[in-house]
Amino acid sequence: MIVAERKSIPDLVDILKDHQKILVLGCGTCVTVCLAGGEREVSIISSALRIAANIKGLDFEIEELTIERQCDNVFIEEATDAINRNDAVLSLGCGAGVQALAERYAKKPVYAGLNTAFIGILEDRGIWAEKCAACGACVLHQYGGICPVTRCAKQMLNGPCGGSREDRCEVRPDRPCAWQLIYNRLKDIGQLEKLTAIAPPKNWEPGHGGGCRVIVREDHRI
Amino acid sequence: MTNKPLKIVLFYCANALDAAALRKSAGEAGADDIKTVSLPCSGKVNLLYLLKAFEKGADGVMLVTCHHGDCKFIEGNLRAQKRAEAVDALLDESGLGRGRMRVIQKNNENGAGQIFEAIENFKNDIRVSSGR
Repeated sequence: MIVAERKSIPDLVDILKDHQKILVLGCGTCVTVCLAGGEREVSIISSALRIAANIKGLDFEIEELTIERQCDNVFIEEATDAINRNDAVLSLGCGAGVQALAERYAKKPVYAGLNTAFIGILEDRGIWAEKCAACGACVLHQYGGICPVTRCAKQMLNGPCGGSREDRCEVRPDRPCAWQLIYNRLKDIGQLEKLTAIAPPKNWEPGHGGGCRVIVREDHRI
Repeated sequence: MTNKPLKIVLFYCANALDAAALRKSAGEAGADDIKTVSLPCSGKVNLLYLLKAFEKGADGVMLVTCHHGDCKFIEGNLRAQKRAEAVDALLDESGLGRGRMRVIQKNNENGAGQIFEAIENFKNDIRVSSGR
């Protein structure tokens, strides 16, 4: 899922201070699961904004709404009436959701209420960790399903670097060494021989270095 | 400082405090104006319950939980403590400052009467920190 966290209340107040009628719009998908922008967070952030506005003497009128998915026009449509009757939208969706709204409602200010952080999973209660860098050329099949691009701080495809200590990453001692995980995993599934192969330099072209990426499926364009 | 009465909302775990004893103690302490909210477990409380109290004008919110290790639902009091800390931080971000949210653990030494003494201390602390 896409993992995000909310901006600070002072930042949000600063973003919204020139508006009066504000729609705080949540998203029922990834950001609900990572507890950043779902229905509950819409209520919490709205409540905190009302308290902050009251203290600062701002005249916020905040409406709350959560739709199933902000990155999809079919679901965005459900918010049309609410968006039209407000001066601005504070989206608690990911960056894709914010931009989908802004593209759809060209004359309505749409602001991001979250900082979109990464593609990851819930590791433990209250802990989300990055697992995928969306590099566009997945190499997981070579590394036992553990991504060295994302989880090795040095992005080494021919690891390990030799700097890890007691299975911990040299750069981030709070995180496990990805290459230790790769070794353990390949050993467990009987594919250790994969480590004898030298990985050639990775093709980074499908990554973000080439600018905004677009996938076209002609079979779906009729 | 002003003498405007402070509005306090008291959320309490029904396993820690008896509602009838609480009402009686409130009468004896002259604290009938304190709004009380009973919870089946302090772990039932969430950020929104607490924030809404402040949004509706509370100057402070007190949460009474069972003592550590005594929660009927194992860790409800621990969750409540964490949520109260999160609300305290959020109120700080919102401009109210810290110290408006207080958690009291109920034990054998502090009955319903002592809770109202704690509320008076809480009110005094709020007055000092807010200059009211």
